[in-house]
Amino acid sequence: MTNRFAKNPPFFPRAVAAIAAGLLVAGPRNASADPAPAGAICSVFERSAGAVVKIYGPRAGREHGYGTGVVVSSDGKIVTTLSLLVSMRGVQVVLDDGQRRNARLVQSDEGRQLALLQIDAQGLDYLTPGESAHLQQGDTVVAIGNWFKIAEGDERASINRGILSLRTTLQAKRLAQEFVYAGPVLVYDGITANPGASGGPLLDLDGRFVGLIGKIAESVNTNTRINYAIPGEEIIAFLGQTSQPETSDRRRDERPATSHGKPYLGIKLAGLGYRHVSAFVERVQPDSPAAEAGVRPDDLILAIGNSRVSDADEYQKLVARLIPGERVSFVVKRGEELIALELEVASKP
Amino acid sequence: MAVGPDAAPRDPTFEQSQAAVIRSAVEAVSPAIVSIETVGGAQPLRENSPAPIEESFRLADGPTTGLILTPDGLILTSSFNFARDPTVITVRLSDGRRFVASLLGRDSIRRLALLKIDANDLPTAAWAKRSSIRPGRYAIACGRGFGGSVPSASLGIVSALDRRNAIALQTDAKTSPANYGGPLIDIEGRVMGLIVPMAGAGSALAGAAWYDSGIGFALYKDKIDQVLDRLRGGRDIEPGKIGVILAPLEPDMLEEVLGDFLPQARGVRIVVVARESPAADVGLRPEDVITAIDGRPVGDVADIQRRLSDRAAGERISLSIKRRWEKLEVHVTLARVAEIRGFDEPAEAEARPNEEEDEDNDESPTTRPDSD
Repeated sequence: MTNRFAKNPPFFPRAVAAIAAGLLVAGPRNASADPAPAGAICSVFERSAGAVVKIYGPRAGREHGYGTGVVVSSDGKIVTTLSLLVSMRGVQVVLDDGQRRNARLVQSDEGRQLALLQIDAQGLDYLTPGESAHLQQGDTVVAIGNWFKIAEGDERASINRGILSLRTTLQAKRLAQEFVYAGPVLVYDGITANPGASGGPLLDLDGRFVGLIGKIAESVNTNTRINYAIPGEEIIAFLGQTSQPETSDRRRDERPATSHGKPYLGIKLAGLGYRHVSAFVERVQPDSPAAEAGVRPDDLILAIGNSRVSDADEYQKLVARLIPGERVSFVVKRGEELIALELEVASKP
Repeated sequence: MAVGPDAAPRDPTFEQSQAAVIRSAVEAVSPAIVSIETVGGAQPLRENSPAPIEESFRLADGPTTGLILTPDGLILTSSFNFARDPTVITVRLSDGRRFVASLLGRDSIRRLALLKIDANDLPTAAWAKRSSIRPGRYAIACGRGFGGSVPSASLGIVSALDRRNAIALQTDAKTSPANYGGPLIDIEGRVMGLIVPMAGAGSALAGAAWYDSGIGFALYKDKIDQVLDRLRGGRDIEPGKIGVILAPLEPDMLEEVLGDFLPQARGVRIVVVARESPAADVGLRPEDVITAIDGRPVGDVADIQRRLSDRAAGERISLSIKRRWEKLEVHVTLARVAEIRGFDEPAEAEARPNEEEDEDNDESPTTRPDSD
């Protein structure tokens, strides 16, 4: 805290409050005048808010033009979510104490939807991203961000409180398109995704920086907004990359290039060419992986590995991601029974 | 300077105790929570009549949630989860085993559905005693709609006990397609109710647009028990209608009515009787006044609609009627909406009497249909 006052002329009301508080504590002990003991959330806020910045930029298309970020180095590196807001010229950052700086994008990760900005500054308060693995369902988490740009001028960002609801893999869409990040997320309850907050920090009650509030997205499982943060582990990996803009392997539908060839199972589905047809097997090629595993015509393919097969399109997408040589489990419905089969993926002949 | 974590160890805080309580409550009920996966089906089409805003909720086809009711495989869930009319339904238990499920019946009044899988010795959930459920008690909404290896948890409280003719409690825990069909539990892990969307005109999607709003509903066990046999027997439960359009009494008629009853007597006027309807079958006519249902005096149009909103097609009710100077008692067997035909002059008659009512209620989660 001393840093802040040393850098700038004291903001008048705050100085008055500080002096008044000092007088209260210094006087004769009076229980009713004692300040209430700082709860965990209060102290997390006091220790972390100094590193939260408000980000403003040009409005463009659907871009709101405002967001939140976290200072991660004393010399002015700021982590936030990747969006048009930070990729364009004219991005401004407002520090917790009200100072304004121009910012430029120095690193981006399309797959994780993360961005690193740089501003000219020294001696800033900063937070270091930490692992989130210790968090359990029910643990209180707090988020600091500029929801609806309520914090104006040099006002501090808002803090919200919730609990960790679930860890899962994000399968989401944003504005009718598949959302690029499809990796692990921390889903919370009680903190709502709304414009302005993404890029702000998610903190546990020990003040650890365990996640970054994610961009607004709808879960494809439910067609409802999902309230989540990108885990600290992903931020650590992002910051550990070289300063060249890079694409991580968190991008959907991308696999490292191999020389194995295209996956082949030997299954022909019924009714190809129509949309949203269930994945019924029409034919099984003799001597194919499917034939060896015991797949039969009229089987309905329900799952490949841990992924549900909702229709023929989904089936094709999942098969395209298989790697020749790997073993994969299938769940099929045959008549009224469910049967588990194991296939060894071959290469396309 | 680096800010953030405080190195000094602290005594367990309220939040840590809360977290441990939430975890153990969810763990207790988790073995009975199933994930329901479907294949096939499609977004239901909007009906021809002007549809309320909830009809625009686009259904996803991700996994939904259910709760094991009996060890031999009866599973409770929400009818919302089958709005797409899927062709194949499978259930995945918390231990990973998958079963094909058959949909025995749907209750579109309670938004409830009953599934059956062929299994035995399944874990079931403990239900909370009705008397233990009080406004202000903690409530945790659990579901499997987001995937993951444990159910999701949303913390809230019981907001109110008697909603929708006392079939559901209200909670501010977040309810959504991620947990419709799942249990709302107390901090001991006992189920207080089954989470369902509950709002609007009772269409398949009604209420879903209010997801995560802080207004959620869960069905009481004893209200579920009342319809269990019908659903097990494969009978769907649908809203029951009389087949009339109603209007408030006009002042001069009120005086006539008051002349024969106690000063505070009220009634509701029938404006239109559908040609093929339970009302027509018992000879009701326009300008008949309904003064009581099943012996209890009625208030206004909204009161009748609310009282009949949870009665099912096939049930019999008695209506006390005032026709000019006559008093009649008729017994009506409620019919399904699809069975009622012949609402003459529909546009005019609907617009006139009930327009005010609908405008007031348009944005609330408890909008009622404008005809019975």
